[in-house]
Amino acid sequence: MLLFARISVQNFAAYRADFFLRGIMSLVQLAAELIVVDTIFHNTETLAGWRLPHMLVLVGVYRMVAGGIRIYIVPNMRRVLEDIREGTLDFVLLKPVNSQLLVSIREFVFWRITDLIYGGTAAAIGASMLAKDIGATQIATFVFMLAAGFAIIYSVWLALATIGFWFIRVQNIEMVFWNVFEAGRFPVMIYPYWVQWSLTFLVPLAFITTFPAGTLLADPATGVPAAAPYYAAGIAVVSVLLSSWFWRFGLKHYSGASA
Amino acid sequence: MSHLLRAFPAFLRVSIQAMLQYRGEILLWCMWGIVNPTVLYVMWSAATRGAPDGKIAGLDQNGFAVYYFFLLIVGHLTAAWDVYNMSYLVRKGQLSPLLLRPILPMWESLSSNLAYKITTLMFAAPMWLVFILITQPSFQTQWWQAGLGMIALLLGAALNYMLCYTVALVAFWTTKLDAVGEIYFGLGMLLGGRMAPVDALPPYLQIASEFLPFKWMFAFPVEVLAGMRDDVHAVTRGLLIQAAWVMLVVLVFRISWHLAVKRYSAVSG
Repeated sequence: MLLFARISVQNFAAYRADFFLRGIMSLVQLAAELIVVDTIFHNTETLAGWRLPHMLVLVGVYRMVAGGIRIYIVPNMRRVLEDIREGTLDFVLLKPVNSQLLVSIREFVFWRITDLIYGGTAAAIGASMLAKDIGATQIATFVFMLAAGFAIIYSVWLALATIGFWFIRVQNIEMVFWNVFEAGRFPVMIYPYWVQWSLTFLVPLAFITTFPAGTLLADPATGVPAAAPYYAAGIAVVSVLLSSWFWRFGLKHYSGASA
Repeated sequence: MSHLLRAFPAFLRVSIQAMLQYRGEILLWCMWGIVNPTVLYVMWSAATRGAPDGKIAGLDQNGFAVYYFFLLIVGHLTAAWDVYNMSYLVRKGQLSPLLLRPILPMWESLSSNLAYKITTLMFAAPMWLVFILITQPSFQTQWWQAGLGMIALLLGAALNYMLCYTVALVAFWTTKLDAVGEIYFGLGMLLGGRMAPVDALPPYLQIASEFLPFKWMFAFPVEVLAGMRDDVHAVTRGLLIQAAWVMLVVLVFRISWHLAVKRYSAVSG
């Protein structure tokens, strides 16, 4: 894993100007998201119970998660889909290590780290604007929630990539994913009840942005249930197990495209 | 001009065939145009509940449903994306054969733009109906507003297409166009009345939107179609401003096209 990371860092060092430009773009993106928040609270006091500092935290979390997905998850799954199509997955399967582990760590998009930094800063500023001080347990729960969120997204992506064993032309799956992810920009409490329910249990998007932000704030006004961490742990474990089983099931259907 | 009139229908036929070939991918493209305004509609209608009098920029929950319903339509029909794929064409040298034709490459791109809008209508229109069924908006548009609104929509589409294509010419100087495309699209989002109606924007964005053409692409047609503009004279003046922007951009395009072609050297010959 470190080896793969080192290669991509070296790759980045070769294109420093590009890194700089992208860093600026990532900052511009964050600025645009902050402008959206500013526009909302220029017109209203609360958005389904969420106030300006709450929303700042949510924007920060959204940016961090979107960044994290682009650092590790999307690039690796993109490569899996490519390998399935071209039949080069054979080389992965021949190696004497767990195939799921290997396909999940081959790529690493270093420059997206900027998203984690900017997002983290925005979340920290939002949290500190609420006069209440934030304890170590709260931060620990928040980190735990983020980790659970990433585990869920990872499982979703592994499942999406596995579909590639049956339907070869699924490059556009990425677009479907970002389409749905878009709904996580705002707290799920703004949606009608049935959409909220589906975003919590069917497509567990609530666990990826709204609930982590809510646990950092620990403010009942946000409407995030206090038991969210327990749900998150449960859903994360179930989804990781399910997707891993699905991957192994999919592998049985793989017969190589080059043969 | 006469060979353009003969060639264009042929281009359009080819483009429609190509679009039908890739219908799966195009539907996904189209889906984003539905998801984004819908999410924003839900967000704003939740925000009206937190506003002092239940209204934001003069719009209540129903007002936002009407606004975003028309934005779905306007967003779809004014779409343009040359700023995203021009750098690809230049980098891969795919522009070279197009430049050899005795007709501007722009016409080819315009035909695929129209083909996209025609072929995806089968998918988008039912989604618009679903939006109406769920949000149940009550419309206040009068006939003259519908008529002038459609002209505004055409002018908005022309303006976005022309400006997008003109900005895409930057690809002739640098092959890194992604950032330019994102900024172009982001400005349209923030200042064009897509993220929020222009009247709901904080003052610094309103001032910026006054000086830039984006609100004339999306916000103005939406406002006229939604019946938010009552003054006939103001609407007519708006149409003239749109037309003036289109002419200005066409002029800039002609000059920069001339410079761009001179500069052109395909990467893979």
